[in-house]
Amino acid sequence: MASRFWVQSDNDTEEEESDYEDDIDAGGAGETAGEAAGSRYLQGNASDSDDSDGQKRVVRSAKDKRFEEMMATVDQMKNAMKINDWVSLQESFDKINKQLEKVIRVTESEKVPTLYIKTLVMLEDFLAQALANKDAKKKMSSSNAKALNSMKQKLKKNNKQFEDLINKYRENPESEDEGEQEQTEDEDESGSEFEEDPSKISMMSDSGEEDEEEDEEGGDNQAEGTGVWEKKMSKKDKLMDKQFMKDPSEITWDTVDKKLKEIVAARGRKGTGRVEQVEQLTFLTRVAKTPAQKLEILFNVVSAQFDVNPSLSGHMPINVWKKCVQNMLVILDILEQYPNIVVDDSVEPEEKETQKGTDYKGTIRVWGNLVAFLERIDAEFFKSLQCIDPHTREYVERLRDEPTFLVLAQNVQDYLERIGDFKAAAKVALRRVELIYYKPQEVYNAMRKLVEHTESGGNGEAEGDEEPQAVEETRGPPSFVVTLELVPRRPTFPENSRTLMDLLVSLIYKYGDERTKARAMLCDIYHHAILDEFSTSRDLLLMSHLQDGVQHMDISTQILFNRAMAQLGLCAFRVGLIAEAHGCLSELYAGGRVKELLAQGVSQSRYHDKTPEQEKLERRRQMPYHMHINLELLEAVHLISAMLLEVPNMAANAHDAKRKVISKTFRRLLEVNERQTFTGPPENVRDHVMAATRALSKGDFQKSFGVIKSLDVWKLLRNRENVLEMLMSKIKEEALRTYLFTYSSSYDSLSLDQLTTMFDLSDRLVHSIVSKMMIMEELHASWDQPTRCIVFHNVEHTRLQSLAFQLTEKLSVLAESNERALEARTGGGLDGLPPRRREGQDYAGAAMGKWQENFSHGRQSSGRLGFGVGGRPSASTQSSGGVFTKDRAGQSRGTGGYSSGYQSTRYQDAYGGVGRSYQTGTTGRGLQVDASARMVSLNRAGRS
Amino acid sequence: MANPMARSFLQVAASEEVASPLRVVQIEGLAILKIIKHCKEFSPALVTGQLLGLDVGSVLEVTNCFPFPIREEDEEIEADGANYQLEMMRCLREVNVDNNTVGWYQSTLLGSFQTVELIETFMNYQENIRRCVCIIYDPSRSNQGVLALKAMKLTDSFMDLYRNNNFTGEKLREKNLSWVDIFEEIPIKVSNSALISAFMTELEAETPVSQCDYDRLQLSTSPFMERNVEFLIECMDDLSMEQQKFQFYYRNLSRQQAQQQAWLQKRRAENMARKAAGEETLPEEDPSNPIFKPVPEPSRLDSFLITNQIANYCNQINGVVGQSFNRLYLMKALQEN
Repeated sequence: MASRFWVQSDNDTEEEESDYEDDIDAGGAGETAGEAAGSRYLQGNASDSDDSDGQKRVVRSAKDKRFEEMMATVDQMKNAMKINDWVSLQESFDKINKQLEKVIRVTESEKVPTLYIKTLVMLEDFLAQALANKDAKKKMSSSNAKALNSMKQKLKKNNKQFEDLINKYRENPESEDEGEQEQTEDEDESGSEFEEDPSKISMMSDSGEEDEEEDEEGGDNQAEGTGVWEKKMSKKDKLMDKQFMKDPSEITWDTVDKKLKEIVAARGRKGTGRVEQVEQLTFLTRVAKTPAQKLEILFNVVSAQFDVNPSLSGHMPINVWKKCVQNMLVILDILEQYPNIVVDDSVEPEEKETQKGTDYKGTIRVWGNLVAFLERIDAEFFKSLQCIDPHTREYVERLRDEPTFLVLAQNVQDYLERIGDFKAAAKVALRRVELIYYKPQEVYNAMRKLVEHTESGGNGEAEGDEEPQAVEETRGPPSFVVTLELVPRRPTFPENSRTLMDLLVSLIYKYGDERTKARAMLCDIYHHAILDEFSTSRDLLLMSHLQDGVQHMDISTQILFNRAMAQLGLCAFRVGLIAEAHGCLSELYAGGRVKELLAQGVSQSRYHDKTPEQEKLERRRQMPYHMHINLELLEAVHLISAMLLEVPNMAANAHDAKRKVISKTFRRLLEVNERQTFTGPPENVRDHVMAATRALSKGDFQKSFGVIKSLDVWKLLRNRENVLEMLMSKIKEEALRTYLFTYSSSYDSLSLDQLTTMFDLSDRLVHSIVSKMMIMEELHASWDQPTRCIVFHNVEHTRLQSLAFQLTEKLSVLAESNERALEARTGGGLDGLPPRRREGQDYAGAAMGKWQENFSHGRQSSGRLGFGVGGRPSASTQSSGGVFTKDRAGQSRGTGGYSSGYQSTRYQDAYGGVGRSYQTGTTGRGLQVDASARMVSLNRAGRS
Repeated sequence: MANPMARSFLQVAASEEVASPLRVVQIEGLAILKIIKHCKEFSPALVTGQLLGLDVGSVLEVTNCFPFPIREEDEEIEADGANYQLEMMRCLREVNVDNNTVGWYQSTLLGSFQTVELIETFMNYQENIRRCVCIIYDPSRSNQGVLALKAMKLTDSFMDLYRNNNFTGEKLREKNLSWVDIFEEIPIKVSNSALISAFMTELEAETPVSQCDYDRLQLSTSPFMERNVEFLIECMDDLSMEQQKFQFYYRNLSRQQAQQQAWLQKRRAENMARKAAGEETLPEEDPSNPIFKPVPEPSRLDSFLITNQIANYCNQINGVVGQSFNRLYLMKALQEN
C-alpha cells in the first residue's frame, strides 16, 4: 500500500512528502521506503541548488562544476549531521562516492581531492561521536538507527581505501592547501544558500594564514591561481612588505628584476588582477635599486594603468588617470635628473642595462615611448569627457584636470626638444594645440586663472591628488631611489592663447608629419576664426589647399575640417561677410546631417539603419560637450545668410524661380513653410527665419529684424550689439533691393528721398545700392540727378521671350546629352569635348547674349558665389576699395567688362559661364562637388 | 458596263481582298458642322464622338456622326458609354441613317494629340473595322481663322510593329520606320448635296469678307505662341527623360557586355586547363547565368511620339509666325499710309 502511495506522490509537493515521511516513521515502514523518501528529498534539494546556479549564469569549467556538485553534497551531509539524520547522510555518502569517480575522471589525476578526504574524516569523527552517545542512539527512530549502522559499515569499508590519505590529513590538515583554496573560492561563488559550517571557515582561515608562510619564497602560485587573486594578492602585498622590510639590505637588483619580470609576465593572463598588478608594480618602484630600473618599472606601471580599463568604449577610471599622469611626471623627473638615461622603443634593451647605477656615466637605454604614453593619456582624457554626462558636476571636475595634462604635455615636449627629437615634440605639440584651439580668449583666461588659483592656494588640486599617494608611500619603506621633483608641476601659460597657439603650430609646421601639420593647420584656422580674424583664417585655409585633400584624410580630421569650416562661417557672419558665411556653411547643411558632420550627436537616419558597430564607431568619434559648436547658432547664421542672399535673388527671378537657386536648403524650407495652411508664431530657429523671410520679401525690414532679434541664440555671441547692428543694416539693404526688384515694374520713377525714408537708410547708401544694381543690370533704370529720382526703363522681357530663353537652355542641355549618348555609343573617349559641341555652345551662348542681359549676371553671380566658398584669397581683402566692389569680388570681372568693351565681353562671359558650368570648372561648383564627395566619403567610411 | 455588273458577289468579295489604299476622306458638311459644334462647345475640355459612314473603294465617306457623352474616369460609366454607343447606333438605324462605324473624332488642344492612348484607341477600332480614320479638330487654332481639321490614320507598317509591341532599335531599322511614319494624314474632301450647295449660295452674304477673315487679321499672336513654346519646353523635358532612359540602358548594356566578356575569358581559361587535364570542356554558353539575361531595351515609341509632337508644334509655330509677319507688314504699310 505504501509503495503505491509513493508512486502517486511523485507529483506532489515536498511538504506533503515530509508529511508522509512522518507517517512512515510513525508506522515503522520499511527501510527502503525511508531511503527513497530521503533520496527524493535530497534530489529535490540538489536540483534547487542547480537552479540557483543557473540563474547566475556563470560559465565554469567541467572541473569546477564537478567540484561544486561535490561541495553541495558535502553541505547536505553537514546539514544532515546537524539534525542527526542518518538516512539522508547515508544517501549523500553514496552520492559523494559516485561524484568522486566523476571528479577523478575529469581531473584525470590519481589524486583524490582533499575535499573528499576531509569529508571522510568529518564523517568518521561524527560517526564515532554518534556511536559513543548511546542515549541518543536509543532515541533514534528505527530507520535512522538502521541507516546509522549501515553507514558505520560502509564507512569502514570505504575508508580503508583512503587510509593513508586520511591519516596524512589528520596529521597535517593544512598541507593540502591547494584544494582548500579552491574550495574557499568556490564556496564564495556558490553563495550563501547553504549554511556554512563555522568551524570549517575558521579552519580554512587558519590554513590561509599558514599559506602565507609557506608561500614565503616562491610566490609563483600566480600562475596556478585561477581567480583567487583578490585574497591572494593582498596577501602577497603584505608578504612583499614583509619580505622587503625584513632585510632591505638583502634586496638586490636581481630580486627586483625577477619580480618585475614575473609581474609583467602575468600581464594579460586570465585571472591577473589589473588593479593589483598596478599596486604591485607601484610597490616595486619604491624598492628599485637604480634610477634606470625605477624608470623601467615606472613605464610598466603606466602601461599597466592603461590596462586597467579593458574596453574601448569605456574610459579609464579618473583616479587611475591622475596617478598615471603623476607617474609620467616622475618619469620625466628621472629623465631630467639623469640625462644619460635614454628612452627608446626601437631596440630591445640589453638584459642588464638597468643595472647600471647612478655612477654609470655612459648612456643607459630604457625601453619606452613617451609620446605614445602621452597620446594615450590624452585619448583617455578625451574619452572620459565623452562618457561623462556633461550636465553633471563630475564633468566640470574632470575638465579641471586639463591643466594637469597640459603641464605634462608641456614637460614632455620640453624634454623631447631638449633631446632633439623634434618630430615627437611636434606630435606632443599637436596634442596641446588640440586642447587649446577651441578655447576663446575668455575660456583660456579662465583656465589660466584656475591654474593660478590652485597655485596660490598652495595645496591645490594637483597637491590634493598627490596626497593619497604620499600616504601610500609612507606605508612602505622609503624609496631607494629618491627622485626630486625637477620638472615643473604647474603649467605656465602665456598671456594670450594666440601666442601659445603660434608657438605650438610653428613648431608643428616645422617638424610635424603630414597629418600632424594638417590637423594643426585646421586648429589654427579654427582658432583664428574664433578670434574674428576671418581673412587670416580664410587665407590659411586656401593656401594650405586643405579642401582638396581632406576627403582622403581620416574621419577625425574630416570632422575637424568641418568644425573649422563651421567656425569660419560663424566668423564671416560676425564680421558681416554674408556671402562668405553662406558659402562656408551651405555645404554643412546641404545633406541635413550637420550633427553627424560635426560629430556632435548621432543623427537618426530614416532610410537605413546603422549596424551596432557603426554606431559604436560613430559614438567614439563624438566631440565632448565643451567643444561643441552651438548648433542653433550655426543654423541661425546659416539660414539668415541664406535669407539675405536668397530673398532678393528670388525677387529678381520671379519669372522662373527654379533657375537660379543659391541655397537649396533654404528654398526647400521655404516651400514647406509656404505649404502650411496656418502659420503659428515662430518657435524654433527655422520658424523665426521663415517669418523673417516672409516679412523681408515684402520689404518689411523692421518686422523681419524684430523676428530675428528675438532669437535666443544671439546671447551666445560675444559682440552681440555689433553683430545685430550689422544684421540690421544688411536686412535694410536687402529689403531695399528686394523692394526694387519686386516693384520696379510698377514705378515709372521713384525718388531717392522716398526710398531713404522707407528703408531708413542714408542717402549715400541708397544711392550706392541702387547704382550698384544698375551697374549689375539687375535694375533697368537710370538716375535723374537734378530731381534725385530713379527713372525706370521697362525692358522686362515678355513672357514669350523668357520662355524662349528657357527653351534654348533646354535645347542646349538636350544637345549636350545627345552628344554624350553618341559618344558612349561610338565608344569615343569621354574626356575632351568634341569640337562640334563647343560650337553648339557658342551658338547658344551668342543666342542668349543677344537678348539676355540678366542672363550674363546670372552666370557671373554664380562665379561670385563660388568666390564665397573658395574664391581668391586676395579678393575680399580689398573690400575697402569703394562701394562697388565691396564684398562682391566676383564682380571684378563684370565691372571690368563694363568699363571697357561693355557689350562684347558680355557674350564671352555668357559663353564662358555656360562652358564652365558644363565642365564643372567654377570654383564654386568644384567645391560643391568636393563637398559632396567628402560627405560621401565620410559616409562610406562610416559604413565600412 | 454590264460586264462588271455581271460579276457575282463572290467575285466582288474576292476582289475586295486587294483593296486599294485609302486616298481621301469625304465628309458631309453636316457631319463637319456637328463635329465643330460639339468640340467648340466643350472647349477646352477634350471630347470625342463616333463617325458613321461608308467605305467605298479608296474613299471613306463620313456621312454622319454623334458625340459621346463626357466620360468620367470610372469603370461602370465606361460600360455605360459602350451601351450608349450601341443604343445610339440602334436608334440611328431605325431612322435609316448610315450606321456603319468608320472611326471617331476628337478635339485637341494645340495639336497635342499624339499620344499612346490615341494609338491604342486606333488599334481597338482597327480590330473591327478595317478602314478607320480619326478626325481631329482643334478649336484653339480655329479661332485664328483656319479650319483646323485633320484626318489621321496609323500607317500599316507601324501597326504591324505595334501589334508585336516591338519597338527596339533593330526592328525599327529593319522596317525602316522613323518617327514620321507613325501617322498618316489623309486629305479631307467636303461634299454637300446639290440641294445644300444651292442653299448655301443663296445664303452667301453680300459683303466680300466674312467673320473668318476678320479673325485672320487678329494681331495678337503671343498667347498662342506662348502656349506652343510652353508645350515645346515640356516636350523637351520629356525627351530628356527618354534620353536618360537610353543612356541608362546603354550603360547597363556595356557593363553587361564587359561582364560577359570577363566570364567568357574565365571560362575559356578554365576549358584550356580542363583540356590539358584531359577533362571534358564546359560549354561556352551558360543560359542560367544572370549576366546573359538580356537587358530589356526601352521602347522607342514614347520618344517617337514626342518627336512627332515637337514637329507638330514647330509646324504650328512656323505657320502662325509666317502669317503674323505678313499681318505685321500689312499693318506697317497701313500705318505708313
